[in-house]
Amino acid sequence: MGRDHLSNEEFFTQLANLFEYTRTKGHGTVYLTQKRMTFNTSSTPPPASKVADDPLWDTHPAEPLPVLIRAYNNKSKKKEGTDREDIDKTQLSTIVKPDDLDGFYARYAEACKAGMSRLKKRDKKKAKKTKKRKKGEIKIGV
Amino acid sequence: MPYFPTSQEWYEQSSLLLKARPASTRITSKYSVSKPAASKIKKRQKYEEKKASRPVNTTRPSSPPPQSQDAEEITVTFTLKTYDPASGTCLQYETNKGAEVGRLIGNLGRLGRHMAALPETTEDLSMPAEGVSMPRPDENAHVKMGTTSSDNKAAAGTGGKKKKKGKK
Repeated sequence: MGRDHLSNEEFFTQLANLFEYTRTKGHGTVYLTQKRMTFNTSSTPPPASKVADDPLWDTHPAEPLPVLIRAYNNKSKKKEGTDREDIDKTQLSTIVKPDDLDGFYARYAEACKAGMSRLKKRDKKKAKKTKKRKKGEIKIGV
Repeated sequence: MPYFPTSQEWYEQSSLLLKARPASTRITSKYSVSKPAASKIKKRQKYEEKKASRPVNTTRPSSPPPQSQDAEEITVTFTLKTYDPASGTCLQYETNKGAEVGRLIGNLGRLGRHMAALPETTEDLSMPAEGVSMPRPDENAHVKMGTTSSDNKAAAGTGGKKKKKGKK
């Protein structure tokens, strides 16, 4: 597809937009993918002889490798009787350097928590009820 | 294609898979908000009718009152999937609770470290990441140097430091 990877900063703003878009639309899906970056990296691949010697070379690379993060949604198709239009899917990607990994995931968690607001909230009423019941049981026991 | 009952199990199995095949394994998380289809709405309405026609069980007062579900309620899910195309292994976990998201992304971060071939962090998740990367001997020297300075730090700083102080 020839898309360019975004910087981490840019990725987070775009990701927030993607979540916001899904929220305003009222339905939809956001996919987030992560995998090791093994293509076109600066680290040279091990020589063929080494690979043949040790088929598990990828489990212990010489130096940490970057992680590729992708985010995308589904494309929308025009549908009669609804307000759906033809909209192409949004695709974002960024590369996280091994050193930035912890900082990135801290921000990533915040972004996801903010974006996935439609998931069920913690049910406070229920929790209170069970607590009260427990207390009652204890009293009976005493 | 198993769905694990707990996120902890999913994390452990995924971590093993990543250790075995770090180069090809990918983790996809899916956040999905979907409106029910017409057939689903019908099904829910039918179920509500059925429930209403049933006599109310009064012998069990402790049972919670029946919750009526909105027939057009949207379904929101968050699914984690670890997939390795080389072996065809697929591990999944699904939740609909918003409270879990933070912890699950934390798990993704720890699995990300496997992907990047970084050494594993300590099991203590509450420790801030910066504390881990800090050189340890230096920190110890700080604590030894003066109790007053370390006290100030502990008051203003994180819980991680306090723990270390207790160990000493």
